[in-house]
Amino acid sequence: MRALLRSELLKQRSTRTTLGLFAAMFLLLILAVLLHSLLPTQALRSPNNQLTILGRGEFLGALFAGLVGALSVTAEIRHGTIRPTFLVSPRRARVVWAKAWACVLTGSVFGLTAGAVAVAAGAAAFRARGIDLRLDGGDYVLLVAGATGAAALWAAIGVGVGAVVRHQVPTVVGICAWLLFVEGLLAGDLVGLGDVFKFLPGSAGEAISGQEPGTLLAPGLGLVLLGAYAAASALVGALATSRRDVG
Amino acid sequence: MTYHIDERERSLGDSAAVVTVRSLTKRFGDLVAVDDLAFSLEAGTITGFLGPNGAGKTTTLRVLLGLAEPTAGEALVFGRRYRDLDDPARRIGAVLESNDFHPGRTGRNHLRALAAAAKIPFGRADEVLALVELEDAADRRVRTYSLGMRQRLGLATALLGDPELLVLDEPANGLDPAGVHWLRGFLRRFAEQGRTVLVSSHMLAEAALTVDEVVIIDHGHLVATGRLGELTQGGRTLEDVFLGLTGAPT
Repeated sequence: MRALLRSELLKQRSTRTTLGLFAAMFLLLILAVLLHSLLPTQALRSPNNQLTILGRGEFLGALFAGLVGALSVTAEIRHGTIRPTFLVSPRRARVVWAKAWACVLTGSVFGLTAGAVAVAAGAAAFRARGIDLRLDGGDYVLLVAGATGAAALWAAIGVGVGAVVRHQVPTVVGICAWLLFVEGLLAGDLVGLGDVFKFLPGSAGEAISGQEPGTLLAPGLGLVLLGAYAAASALVGALATSRRDVG
Repeated sequence: MTYHIDERERSLGDSAAVVTVRSLTKRFGDLVAVDDLAFSLEAGTITGFLGPNGAGKTTTLRVLLGLAEPTAGEALVFGRRYRDLDDPARRIGAVLESNDFHPGRTGRNHLRALAAAAKIPFGRADEVLALVELEDAADRRVRTYSLGMRQRLGLATALLGDPELLVLDEPANGLDPAGVHWLRGFLRRFAEQGRTVLVSSHMLAEAALTVDEVVIIDHGHLVATGRLGELTQGGRTLEDVFLGLTGAPT
């Protein structure tokens, strides 16, 4: 498994895809935090809103880590490198599992960076507006650690989704759509889900970074739940990949 | 007079079955791509796997290499299913498509990523790059490679584990005449070391110059197998034999 992990990490490092996603995440994050900091002073004084703005790190970290995970599978299928990969390692489930772990590592770097950048950029923007941040040390630790954990687990979810869907465009569109608005619509209770939405993977990720306490799950519960989603997704992806013929 | 099999002969006897295909059938829905196919390969030979487009050559190779499951029958390499081999990269090298590379990855990193998975030292990546004469392009992204260079990088990929069996699907596509000549010499030297080559092709004139044995299939069925020299007795060319057997107009 260590050999496969090393191979997967080398694959991620040796194209510009990972770096490109990292740069895109970084820029979007700065943009998102700065745009939010233009809200009316009254809105910015609410600790819950402050938490949401500084929590953009968790959201974008999870999104881009999910894409890293998905592309680690779909890019190999798209370019055909999946064939030499499986010729060298014919036990395909192990390859998917190694991809999941490699993406957990890369995803955690994405999440750690995103969490820290969002907190730093947010703090700078609030200082520039002359508004005090009413968050304590525990909130900051949770924002950064939660972003790291949520992104790591979302990367594994991405691997599983990519392994099941296999086509790159629908996979990427699906992950983006789910995190950007599908869960939001469900949370808005358009379909009468009640508070079931807090058990969905996007909300579980937000819960890990301490968002909306009382509404969402406690951070620890969110971590366990998202971990279960990640394990289930990688497992289904591994099973699907080992059973289906390789094109 | 007593006959006894010495160890050397026995090991030759074992290694004779490098590839064994038995009653192999592969269906895709209603389409029967491979139908009750059987053939075997001896060590130290170059076998041409010939047939018209759509005859089932690539499907057979995919099943043999563990990328697809047979509907019935089996395809064994060294007496085992591909995915049951302990270290397949060190026994079998294969190229199924000429362009199985990430365009943004360098040739060297393509080889290194696969070497890492197979626990092959990175130095071997440089060796195989030299073998296929791609050292100068090793650190360029594959997007900048010509088709001939991609064919050679594919061959380098197959050679990473210094395998005993090479399986190549249409390796001469996109090679210029010098490249084809080089490939033929390379495969010849490879087989002279007692190793085995299975090469699919529809380029009969080229195949006739390269292979010792032929397996000809059509519509998923075996139509002929044997030594090239025997099939082409009486001054017939491989093309005459092939077109006669596969029912194509002559």
